[in-house]
Amino acid sequence: MTNYYKQRGIYLFLTKLFFLLIFFSHSYAQNGGTEISGKVLNDKTKAFLPGATIQIKGSTNTVITNDNGEFKIVTYKDLPVVLRVSYSGYDAREIPIDNIKPVVVELEETATQLSDIVVVGYGTQRKRDLTGSIAKINAQEVAKIPVASFDGQLQGKASGLQVITNSGVPGEGIFVRLRGTTSINSSSDPLYIVDGVFLNNTSLQTTVLGGRTTSPLADINPADIESIELLKDAAATAIYGSRGANGVVIVTTKKGNYGSKTKVDVNVSNGWVEADRSVLPNLISGPEVATLVHEYWVNSGQPERSPFRPVSEGGLGAPEEQKTYDRLAFLLRKGYIQDYNIGIQGGGSKSRYYLGAGYVDQDAFFKVIGFNRASLKFNYDHELSRNVKIGVTNSLSRSYRNQARLGDGPQGRLWGSAINNATYSPTHDASGALIGLENTYSLVDNYDVNTVSLRYVGSVFAEANIIKDLKFRSSISADYNLYDEYQYWNTGTSIGSAVGGKAISSITQNSAWINEQVLTYKKVFGEHSITALAGNTLQSNELKNTYAEGNGFANSNYKLISSAASTLASDSWTKHTISSYFGRVGYAYSDKYFAEVSFRSDGSSKFGKNNRRGYFPALGLGWRLISENFLADVRWLSELKLRGSYGLTGNQSGINDFAARGLWSGGSPYADTYGTPLAGIGPLQLGNDELRWEKTAQTNVGFDAAFLSNRLSVTFDYYYKYTSDLLLQKPVPASSGFAQYWANVGEVSNRGFEVAINSDNIRTKNFNWSTNLNISSNKNRIEKLPTPITQYTRDWVILQEGYSLNSFWLYEQLYVDPKTGDPVFAGQDENGVVTVEDRKILNSFYPKFYGGINNTIRFRQFDLSALFTFQYGNYNLNLQRFFIERNPATGANATLLNRWQKPGDITDVPRLVSTGYNYTLDQNSRYLEDASFIRLKQLSVGYSLPAGISQKARLTNVRFYFVAANLFILTKYTGDPETNVTSNPNAQGLGGFGTPPQPRSFQFGLNVTL
Amino acid sequence: MKKIISFRFQYAILVAALLLTGLTSCEKFLEVEPRTSTSDQVTIVDENSAQTAVRGIYNQLQSGSYYGFTFPLIGNISADNVQYTGSQAVNRTLTTHTARADLGPLATVWQAIYNTINRANNVIAKVPEVPVTTSFTEEARSRLVGEAYFLRALAYFDLVRTWGGVQLILEPTASAGDITGVPRSSVQETYAQIFADLQTAESLLSETTNRIRATRKTVFALRARYHLYQKEWPQAIEYATRVIDDNQNYTLGNAYNSFFADNAANTNESIFELYYNLNVTNTQAYNWQHSSRGGIGWVRPSDEAAALLSDETIAGDRSSLLISIPVSGVSVWYGNLYYRTNGTDPAYLIRLAELYLIRAEAKASLSSPDIPGALQDLNIIRNRANLPNATATTQAEVLLAIEDENRLEFAFENHRWFDLVRTGRAQEVLNIPDVGKLLLPIPYSQILVDPALKQNPGYED
Repeated sequence: MTNYYKQRGIYLFLTKLFFLLIFFSHSYAQNGGTEISGKVLNDKTKAFLPGATIQIKGSTNTVITNDNGEFKIVTYKDLPVVLRVSYSGYDAREIPIDNIKPVVVELEETATQLSDIVVVGYGTQRKRDLTGSIAKINAQEVAKIPVASFDGQLQGKASGLQVITNSGVPGEGIFVRLRGTTSINSSSDPLYIVDGVFLNNTSLQTTVLGGRTTSPLADINPADIESIELLKDAAATAIYGSRGANGVVIVTTKKGNYGSKTKVDVNVSNGWVEADRSVLPNLISGPEVATLVHEYWVNSGQPERSPFRPVSEGGLGAPEEQKTYDRLAFLLRKGYIQDYNIGIQGGGSKSRYYLGAGYVDQDAFFKVIGFNRASLKFNYDHELSRNVKIGVTNSLSRSYRNQARLGDGPQGRLWGSAINNATYSPTHDASGALIGLENTYSLVDNYDVNTVSLRYVGSVFAEANIIKDLKFRSSISADYNLYDEYQYWNTGTSIGSAVGGKAISSITQNSAWINEQVLTYKKVFGEHSITALAGNTLQSNELKNTYAEGNGFANSNYKLISSAASTLASDSWTKHTISSYFGRVGYAYSDKYFAEVSFRSDGSSKFGKNNRRGYFPALGLGWRLISENFLADVRWLSELKLRGSYGLTGNQSGINDFAARGLWSGGSPYADTYGTPLAGIGPLQLGNDELRWEKTAQTNVGFDAAFLSNRLSVTFDYYYKYTSDLLLQKPVPASSGFAQYWANVGEVSNRGFEVAINSDNIRTKNFNWSTNLNISSNKNRIEKLPTPITQYTRDWVILQEGYSLNSFWLYEQLYVDPKTGDPVFAGQDENGVVTVEDRKILNSFYPKFYGGINNTIRFRQFDLSALFTFQYGNYNLNLQRFFIERNPATGANATLLNRWQKPGDITDVPRLVSTGYNYTLDQNSRYLEDASFIRLKQLSVGYSLPAGISQKARLTNVRFYFVAANLFILTKYTGDPETNVTSNPNAQGLGGFGTPPQPRSFQFGLNVTL
Repeated sequence: MKKIISFRFQYAILVAALLLTGLTSCEKFLEVEPRTSTSDQVTIVDENSAQTAVRGIYNQLQSGSYYGFTFPLIGNISADNVQYTGSQAVNRTLTTHTARADLGPLATVWQAIYNTINRANNVIAKVPEVPVTTSFTEEARSRLVGEAYFLRALAYFDLVRTWGGVQLILEPTASAGDITGVPRSSVQETYAQIFADLQTAESLLSETTNRIRATRKTVFALRARYHLYQKEWPQAIEYATRVIDDNQNYTLGNAYNSFFADNAANTNESIFELYYNLNVTNTQAYNWQHSSRGGIGWVRPSDEAAALLSDETIAGDRSSLLISIPVSGVSVWYGNLYYRTNGTDPAYLIRLAELYLIRAEAKASLSSPDIPGALQDLNIIRNRANLPNATATTQAEVLLAIEDENRLEFAFENHRWFDLVRTGRAQEVLNIPDVGKLLLPIPYSQILVDPALKQNPGYED
């Protein structure tokens, strides 16, 4: 009873804090009984298995092994009994016991993933019990590619997951799609959940970086991750209701194990990144560019505008006398990468923990840009009693970025300044002074733009068994991000010179919290097994920005806004809340038939009063044929299961928090008398009380099969997603005084198949070779859209009914007339004029199929793995080429050397001239290129010390490794097909203007486990 | 054991209570009010909101999409004074008169002008309903409404001279479905509406001087321009004279550049200009100046205009509109009317010099031309620019001299295109074979959105 009071005290304390808990005391005395003892070992390595579970079959009597793999269990049953011994990652065994001699149980590692435990929405399941489509990626498989965020490491790792790294800048946003793009204006990014915390994945960036944004996922240290689950179909995602439509990525961090020995894991790597010259812009020499410029003006009938006249006439001399100034070579560098991680995990009988610390520093392969992150992780669970468990997860990180403008925009373009200048034009004058402010040399010296992101992601939870089989869990989690940006433009930059120096400080805070209550019920009655859960969540997200700008500084020693001659300030604030109920009931019969129903109701503050709540149900069915008697004798078949599901999910992200409201705003000041600005107001947006959830209905059918004792396994899925009520900024006639308003218009479909094949090609004592292949296709189609929507400047991309999203809208250049050298466009009239009606929708950014293939070989102590990723059938409009080819004086690509020069020349590069359509029609299909590729994404080689040697040093494992990323790419595309000029999801496929390509990286590392 | 039961019961109650609180407060939890904006149901209700709403119209008028940059841009590069050398090379199709309806800046300007009109419509509809108080007098209220009428007239004037007759929207837009099936009005109907608005504005405004806000005198100046466009010469002379004669408040500066150089603003020469400051900036200087002077230099004088302006025997002191910058060892002319890269250059809408030239042109165009009177006004402008009197004598020569003078006097102020189109000289001077190209195409995106909006002839296919 003292035990009871003690616990009651703790209880009251917790209740006062913020928790609701239920507790039942189930203590009982232990007198007499039979003690069984033994050891649990790995069958091959004979290593102890601490934390393995031993259960007396037919009872709830369970113990786990200690640090040395030993256990003792007392039973009141009469011998013989059956011990069920299980351990995560191993096949469970049942051992009959008829005497009390100590037993040694050897467990075999599970051959395939099929019996793994996978994390699902609000729980875990055995993979074999799933009715939905879920892919699991183990942490060991997460790659070491030089991008800072874990999503970038997943390319080619799972079917249905398309990952495109948009540039060679570490920590920058990555384009991720799970089963296609369902939305136009709403976000089509998957939902990211880390240990139950809904992670903010919208960049808080306000600094102008040429249309590029940073990745909030880069705040998470990949080394802390245990596993990543991808929830793809409606059966898996509908429990997340309004946020499930684009799939869910569940990240589980390391937790430690109960009753396990302390394990210390140290992982250190160092290396470098460098340019992959095969994908760099192919700039030509000074004399070559000069020749082109001269020819351009001569052909235009204005030879006097060519600077290549004799020096005596004030010109620059003949083209062939020009020098070459290679700004790109100056900008490039070898960038260093360092990565240090230490993880300590372990646990006693009542608690377990993981403590991680990491530091990573990644330079870009060109000057100025860099990323570093320091992170701490602490996870802790504790059992207060047999029935009550509490715990915390915490991750704290500081990410620092040195940034520069890449991509689009006229000023301060670092990469653009190096490639968008004619190579004959000097960088310094005769006295050695820099020429111009938009000079690569000057920018490198003067760039001072950086960001610090402080991020806390964590939760506290309490879990209690209310009665047998019924568990209650309550948690509060938070995702807090302080994003502190600073820019200083001194008078050596054109932005700074305009105002005598400019400093900008922008501080953005995103605070999200979620409170969650879940009741879980699990019961097995003979052949029937039932799981059920019900819960509710409240979620709030508040975003706040404070901006200050100072203009006019004494000199560059004064950098704080307080020293400025004049200052400006502004702020913004926005918030939304979501309140939800959800539930799920699963039923399994005899390990053969599975059915699962889930449901969620979400209410969002974003929507009009009339349509706040959305209801998202789903049904999943599974049939495990392998358990049927008629397959019992088919020995080559080790698994066969059919799955099917249908359900509704929703979307509301990506629209602003007050999208449904008719609003007026301030911020329109003007003066009544000269010199005194006063406040002004005006209409901001039109309201729509009927605004409601975007809905995606998804059907999924698939099967899991394994052959030859699980050595070959295949997972196949086919899905059809139909999204209706698209949240769209529907254009209204501009004569209304508005451009658009938020409405539910338009429908989009995605359909595709996914195949994942895992094969243990060779499995012997000293030599293992396994292959994982995944390949996915997705076909996207805009089913309904009242008016086409164009994207980006020059309307290069169009969204139009009947076509895929991100299609290109261009004037189709058919050929270059060999007689005149002028381009011929489809639809030209007799005068050679094209009008907007002649523009055609040509191809799309989305591939016909994509995927990855990974081969892993282990030979004695050596291991080797090679990951190839590929995309096929996707197109990019090569803006890099467009901007350096359209006028030779602002760059010049090697492509221009193939220009038409004399009658009879057959080429697709028109005669150089300033008039006509040759170089003035910006939407020319000449720049549209097949961007299919296959890339050796990662190659790694490792050597582990033989167990004998490492154990002498009292180490469990020592591995030396070498990893190289992006070693080569095969593509027809000019440049890197994996670069995009903008983070705008609807304008993807605008290839790489001013955007650095993916770098090559080489890293050497050492991993030591104590 | 009893204690355990009561303990369980206690917590069961607590669970139930908390769950219940959760459920009932959930719908309330979803009520979140914006802080940086407010509902459009309650907008203009008192003196303060009426005043701020009128400032909101000026704010749109001065936005980068309208007088701040893009509207002057499309007019400037349609004529022969200004060239576009920036990255959006397609903008040069305005200069070559081959522009297509999908040209981006057209849609930008169209949208900005109608935004201004909608703000004016809100004031015109709602401010008369605001009750008068001791501080908010009848006169103060009329002034605000009068300014809105003036600004609406100006906005429709800009639409009609750029695109021809347009859809006349005279009521504020309250919801998305408000604008359906409104056909384009004719050019005459559009001008009739402009005239009606100007008359209303004239009656509501008082005859004060404010160079950054509309007053009755600003209406006089715009009416002078209106009557000139309508070829109503006597009225053009009358209204120009009303302003010119107010020499207490409006005088030409001694030097040509005195209205803009040395950070000048709000000078006596200015009749209507827009005020910018560090918070609301004008991007003209950024677009006109070379990078060594804090700009991007995408908009520059045409070679022809640079040749004329730099020749002081032709342009006189108006050479101060140019600045020569060495680029790759070669001297290049840049425009220097806008040079305040901190964004505080005013937008010059109506200067007194325009009224002299309006009156000169009207006098010369009268059915019985007043050539000496015309030359007198013309020479005031020439002499101020440090040039001798004009040598023209015949009506045709004088009108040509006025045209040339306009070209130089307002070289970068977006007069040239509209002057040439208005006088019917554009086709000849700018070599435009197709008369349809004297109007710009209605933005293609608008044609797609609004079936009632028909394209201008010559751009349909």
